[in-house]
Amino acid sequence: MSAGWNSSTRAPDAEDIASCVACGLCLPACPTFRLTGRETASPRGRIAAMRAVDEGRGEVDGSFRTMMDECLACRACETACPSGVPFGRMVEAARAQAEPGRAPRGRLGRRAGLVWLLPRRRAVMTAAWVAGLGAATRLDRALPRRHGTARPPVRLRELARPLPRAQGDQGPAAAVLAGCVVSVAYRPLLRATMRLVAASGHRARMTAPGGCCGALAMHHGHPEAAQTMARQRIAEVDGADVVVVNAAGCSAHMKTYGELLADDPRWAERAARVAARTRDVLELDLAAREGSVGAVAMHDACHHLNGQGIREQPRALLRAAGGEVRELADGGRCCGAAGLYGVTQPELSARLRRLKAEAIAATGAPVVAVANPGCAMQITAGLAEIGAAVRLAHPVELAG
Amino acid sequence: MLLRPPSAADRFRALLDDEWVIDAPLERLLYGRDGSIAEGEAGLVVLPETRQEVSACVRLAAELGMAVVPRGSGTGLAGGAVPLEGALVLALSRMTRIVEIDEDVPCAWVEPGVLNLDLSEAVRHLGLHYAPDPSSQAACSIGGNVSTNAGGPHCLKYGVTSEHVLGLEVVLAAGEVLALGGPAPDAPGYDLRGLVVGSEGTVGVVTEICVRLTPNPPAVYTALCDFASVRAAGEFVSAVIAEGVVPAAMEMMDEVMIAAVEQFVGAGLPLDAAAVVLVEADGSPADVARQAAVVQRVGRAHGARMIRVAADEEERALLWKARKSAFGAVARVAPNYYLHDCVVPRTRLVEVLEEIGRIAERHDLVIMNVFHAGDGNLHPLIAFDRRNADQVARVAAAGRDIIEACVAVGGVLSGEHGIGLEKRDYMPLTFNEDDLRAQACARDALDPAGRFNPHKVLPGAARCGEAVLEAGHLPEGTWL
Ligand SMILES: Cc1cc2nc3c(=O)[nH]c(=O)nc-3n(C[C@H](O)[C@H](O)[C@H](O)COP(=O)(O)OP(=O)(O)OC[C@H]3O[C@@H](n4cnc5c(N)ncnc54)[C@H](O)[C@@H]3O)c2cc1C
Ligand code: SF4
Ligand code: SF4
Repeated sequence: MSAGWNSSTRAPDAEDIASCVACGLCLPACPTFRLTGRETASPRGRIAAMRAVDEGRGEVDGSFRTMMDECLACRACETACPSGVPFGRMVEAARAQAEPGRAPRGRLGRRAGLVWLLPRRRAVMTAAWVAGLGAATRLDRALPRRHGTARPPVRLRELARPLPRAQGDQGPAAAVLAGCVVSVAYRPLLRATMRLVAASGHRARMTAPGGCCGALAMHHGHPEAAQTMARQRIAEVDGADVVVVNAAGCSAHMKTYGELLADDPRWAERAARVAARTRDVLELDLAAREGSVGAVAMHDACHHLNGQGIREQPRALLRAAGGEVRELADGGRCCGAAGLYGVTQPELSARLRRLKAEAIAATGAPVVAVANPGCAMQITAGLAEIGAAVRLAHPVELAG
Repeated sequence: MLLRPPSAADRFRALLDDEWVIDAPLERLLYGRDGSIAEGEAGLVVLPETRQEVSACVRLAAELGMAVVPRGSGTGLAGGAVPLEGALVLALSRMTRIVEIDEDVPCAWVEPGVLNLDLSEAVRHLGLHYAPDPSSQAACSIGGNVSTNAGGPHCLKYGVTSEHVLGLEVVLAAGEVLALGGPAPDAPGYDLRGLVVGSEGTVGVVTEICVRLTPNPPAVYTALCDFASVRAAGEFVSAVIAEGVVPAAMEMMDEVMIAAVEQFVGAGLPLDAAAVVLVEADGSPADVARQAAVVQRVGRAHGARMIRVAADEEERALLWKARKSAFGAVARVAPNYYLHDCVVPRTRLVEVLEEIGRIAERHDLVIMNVFHAGDGNLHPLIAFDRRNADQVARVAAAGRDIIEACVAVGGVLSGEHGIGLEKRDYMPLTFNEDDLRAQACARDALDPAGRFNPHKVLPGAARCGEAVLEAGHLPEGTWL
């Protein structure tokens, strides 16, 4: 590690930085560049900033932090880049660098969530109950609230219904990640996933509800917390033939467990094994229930499209279930959810949210397929904002 | 730096919202480069959104004595948009409106920051497109295309940018707004439009452009021909054209390039070929069929091992994606590239390519080739790592050898990327003192104070009246 980096945490790799030839072919793919026209909000610019720090010509200062915070980590630039620049892991490392110097106000709250709460699965479930109670008693309305802010739809009635922890008794052993947000706010999806994975010939076993994969912490500059959560999940799922994940951000992240723990001799091997066995649920050979899904707008999660190359699978699944897939005319631009982006960059996030909601509404479909809880919250808020009555569902819920 | 008085940023903030005046050191640094290997330093960056704002910024720059460097998308390959000595960078990336489309001419008025491919997509439903298609078309701006007189694969048949620019609006150094030409054929008076096209930001800021739109061809034939030697591929290209066929495009890629690109696109390119030629013919179905037959026959005669014809639009797009990602994919070989852009007579193509191969060997470097073969526009790309000083010295020497080899067979310095900073000091190789003086006078006529993009294009500080044949030295702080 060289020059301007803080040696106490990870930093963007010099070879990764060198692989960018500054051709600019990624610029049009980048939502934040498109919205602002600023090089400081472009992938090439962000890499140039990393290069400057790496070469000691710049430092991790307020400008650096803003550039990295404005990034959605949607990785659309990776898909566009002919040089194969691994931007996703670079920006994660850059954010880890940017974290320590942050002003304490916003930082402490975030830190509490990412580093204290998420690695404690029981605390996550308790928090869910508190949130559910708040919603049920309408106490949450007393809290300060930004207009249109996306939040997890936690419902007491759902929380009280037990989840099926085991389903199916034949075929390969599939460990289904319960996850944090999904197991508190999208429980019907979890049920549908268990049902469909089992129906597709697996012995499906669910991990403990509330257990977070660590993606959120990793995206927001806390690699150590992410490592802790990775070890917890690995301990739970190692041994399964396949690890099934129904949230795009989580499947993308769990596939990087090998890299994340490469320097930990006790865990590296298991991490690599789990990563190699991780599949997004949409990558499985799924037996869709024959049905009449009808017109459905297709939203691609960035972490499916970019990095995992998952595009055709959900479409094929929906078609098999009688769906008529309608594409959005926005070229798959990020919806602006991007983890905590709505909190850290409310303005850019709101603009992207609105564009996405309008693109969905323009298809005229009564339902939109969304395969990531972050996107789902954002899109729900966006559709409400423009007053469009479009229902959301994961492809697995529609086809299962 | 030197040229910037302390309050410049504040003065510009009185003209534009804070977000659009970039002053922080790390942020300015990002505007120090374009797609080339030249690097300078921006004193300040402004991002105006309207012609009035451009004009006001240019006027203020004059008052503050700052040089102005216009910038589009910064994909230029000659260092044209690289600021020197703390100049003001005026970025046009917020001026992205398509102002008007006239289907009858057909033409469109666009702001300079509109991206080339975005324009074509915006008129696709009308059965039209914007013909000049640089390989960077997804990212480069129309303003940048006009200023470099960009070419592209399809310019073999359709002509380069200058043939598609009908009218221009330009802001000059004192902030005055000039309207040049328009959709009417043959405007009276001097063709100043022609002077601005290709001027690389040295005479003013282009703030609006009227471009010709081209009807989409009814039929297209795209084929990838694969050869066991570069010589055979080169001769094939000349032979097709000698048959009286002008394909829409004829692009060649050599072995090393094929390997790098294939890693990115996975288009099934033949990894064992010494060279491939991507040929495209378009027009009426009958005409296309005739051209395709010629390509097939001549291809066989020159030993094409395989001629892969794109079966549908999807396969065609994939083959073009392979071609158009070539420069970017170089990083899979080495982190930097130094690129030349000479044009040689088509009949000397093979000879020059072989010489380039020898130059690579002599300097112990990897040189990759991907280029517009139909018009003899070479793009030898020297792959290197700028952290290796010894290699950098060899790259510079090889670059000079390549240029000399091209000029020796009657070639010119640049086919389309422009002169900018990188090729500037080679200008005297192809222009004599009188030529250079005339060019300097033309430039001074529009920008008498030398406010716009100084140090670019003309060697030394060539100004009207003083001919400078000695290759000038690049200013301090420039990295080449
Ligand atoms: C991968 C790759 C492939 C390429 N392929 C081709 C190709 O096939 N053909 C080709 O011709 N080029 C090619 N280029 C080079 C480059 O894309 C073109 O030169 C393009 O026209 C530059 O546009 P830009 O918007 O990026 O301009 P910039 O790089 O920002 O600027 C280029 C020059 O124009 C000036 N300028 C920009 N906008 C204005 C304005 N509004 N008013 C006045 N001056 C202005 C700048 O000062 C500078 O001198 C390629 C580049 C890359 C990276
Ligand atoms: S990230 Fe890739 S596409 Fe973007 S400038 Fe760098 S090399 Fe080019
Ligand atoms: S990850 Fe997304 S927002 Fe960030 S630089 Fe890449 S394209 Fe832009």
